Amino acid sequence: MAELELRDLRKTYRSRGRPAVDAVRGLDLALGTGELLGLLGPSGCGKSTTLRMIAGLETVTGGDILVDGESLVGRPAQRRNIGVAFENYALYPPLTVAENLGFGLKARRKAARGDVDRKVEDIAERVGLTDILDARPAGLSSGQKQRVSLARALIREPDVLLLDEPLSHLDAAQRDTTRRELKRIQRDLGHTTILVTHDQEEALSLADRIAVMKDGVIQQLGTPYEIYDSPANVFVADFVGEPPINLLTGVVTADGHARLSDAVRIALPVPVAEGREVVVGIRPEDLRLTGDEGLPARVVAHEPLLESGIATLALEGVEHPLVVVTDPEVRLAHDDQVHVAVGLTHVFDAETGDTLR
Amino acid sequence: MTLQKRLLGWLADAALILYFVFALFPIAWMVILSLKPTNQLFSTYFSFSPTFDGYRTVLGDSEGIPFVRFFVNSLVVSVGAVVLSLVVGLPAAYASARWRFKGSENLMFTLLSFRFAPELTVIIPLFVLYQKLGLFDTYVGMIWVLQLVTLPLIVWIMRSYFADLTPELEQAALLDGYSRKQAFFKVALPLVKPGVAAVSLLAFIFAWNNFVFPLILTSNEAQTVTVGALSFLGGDRPKYNLTAAAALVSVVPPLLLALTIQRYLVRGLSFGAVKS
Repeated sequence: MAELELRDLRKTYRSRGRPAVDAVRGLDLALGTGELLGLLGPSGCGKSTTLRMIAGLETVTGGDILVDGESLVGRPAQRRNIGVAFENYALYPPLTVAENLGFGLKARRKAARGDVDRKVEDIAERVGLTDILDARPAGLSSGQKQRVSLARALIREPDVLLLDEPLSHLDAAQRDTTRRELKRIQRDLGHTTILVTHDQEEALSLADRIAVMKDGVIQQLGTPYEIYDSPANVFVADFVGEPPINLLTGVVTADGHARLSDAVRIALPVPVAEGREVVVGIRPEDLRLTGDEGLPARVVAHEPLLESGIATLALEGVEHPLVVVTDPEVRLAHDDQVHVAVGLTHVFDAETGDTLR
Repeated sequence: MTLQKRLLGWLADAALILYFVFALFPIAWMVILSLKPTNQLFSTYFSFSPTFDGYRTVLGDSEGIPFVRFFVNSLVVSVGAVVLSLVVGLPAAYASARWRFKGSENLMFTLLSFRFAPELTVIIPLFVLYQKLGLFDTYVGMIWVLQLVTLPLIVWIMRSYFADLTPELEQAALLDGYSRKQAFFKVALPLVKPGVAAVSLLAFIFAWNNFVFPLILTSNEAQTVTVGALSFLGGDRPKYNLTAAAALVSVVPPLLLALTIQRYLVRGLSFGAVKS
């Protein structure tokens, strides 16, 4: 349990005959003791490279990694006290669960034999593995493997815990239970944790703060609410939220509206200079079907799900469809005429993608 | 319908028996030959008074041909070649499976080329070199030259075994406090044990059966069974029964080895064929 700080962390992959790849470009992050930070981004954004650099499995091209103010750069993995739960669990196949858990303690000669057994039992109880201590990894479900992998990372009482896509190989039911377990265990034990994931749900539900990454750069750092409510740019707005945000391009008019087509105008939340090209972002949850107020639209498709529905609408003269979350009792047919009231909107510069405030 | 099926079954059986006879006939012929007394060698096919004299002569050194020593030589150079190849080849296979370094692919290809280049292409320069270096007819020389046979096999097969192991396993071991070396010896290596067993056996058989290298690069001291068995054909009259007996004796070690580690062999050779 410790503070973790990344200072201007960089990683460049160089291989002969190919252009150098900047996987991570100047990352700055600071985690307080016990904080769970979600590193969220699409594949190839550099989040896994960052994790591997912290763990010591990858060399650092530039910058510094500090745990409680002490630099880890240049120190081999076995001399850092970092726990990692790998995406594919990476349990030692010939060893039982108990032996897998005790492996690190024995390898580091950190504990006497009796101590190892006691610690194994202790962590097994906390993580819920007591019944399967004598089983071998091949016979376990993915959920169990994930918990063993987590327990193995935790048993050494690491300064920093790294979780690499912890839920990605679980089915939906296991995912929910494991996610709750994960949250409880992390709270109970209070480890400073980085969760690397491409799944926004995972990050939003588990993390205290989220760093959204793209192309090796953090796009936005904030609480799940900040990320969702005031995205820093189009990428963040688009990446977080399900169903994804509607992004519609338009030109700003003299009276502070965005003109999407000859027929459709949307009021902007902030004043923007006339004639500027903007992207208007409206989350499907912020749109509401009404009787006759708001924008007229034609129904393209409606998917009635159980707890809500998703309607795809066409606005007159606008190329992009508009996705709206509807109430559960609503039934719509193709080509129905409806009206939508626009709630909260976001506006981005069409060229840079940055939020205009 | 059932009659048809039964007929088909019989036909298949008959075909299999036919193939069985065809496949085993040379071996049966060798056994018969090895049991014939010298004076009945050419006079009969199947009726003769069987005797173990041939085996006794071969193993008893009475023809002036030290077959037992050839046998021991074969054991020493084959085991030596496999052990040396494992010592050099396992780390090489691991390195080439885990890291791409400058020239790594070229190195691997060079190693492979030892296998597909016929031994005869290099045998004459080797002969001259061995004469000059004093390696001719020595154990060291034979073990060294057999690396051409065993090393590429071990490196290439073990490389695919290591490549099939997920690197996260060793990374987990590193985080658990192991050094790179320990992660290799205590985590990666135990997991490819079936592969090591299988490939060692294969390499041993190839080394044991090698003919050209001992034929040219040994004369007496380090000569192996493959060449040694033929010495019974020399002299005033070829002694086919002795050659047959010698050949059958020389089949024993690879056969025994294959039987004892059959369990590993099947698992080892099918490993990686089916992705889990």
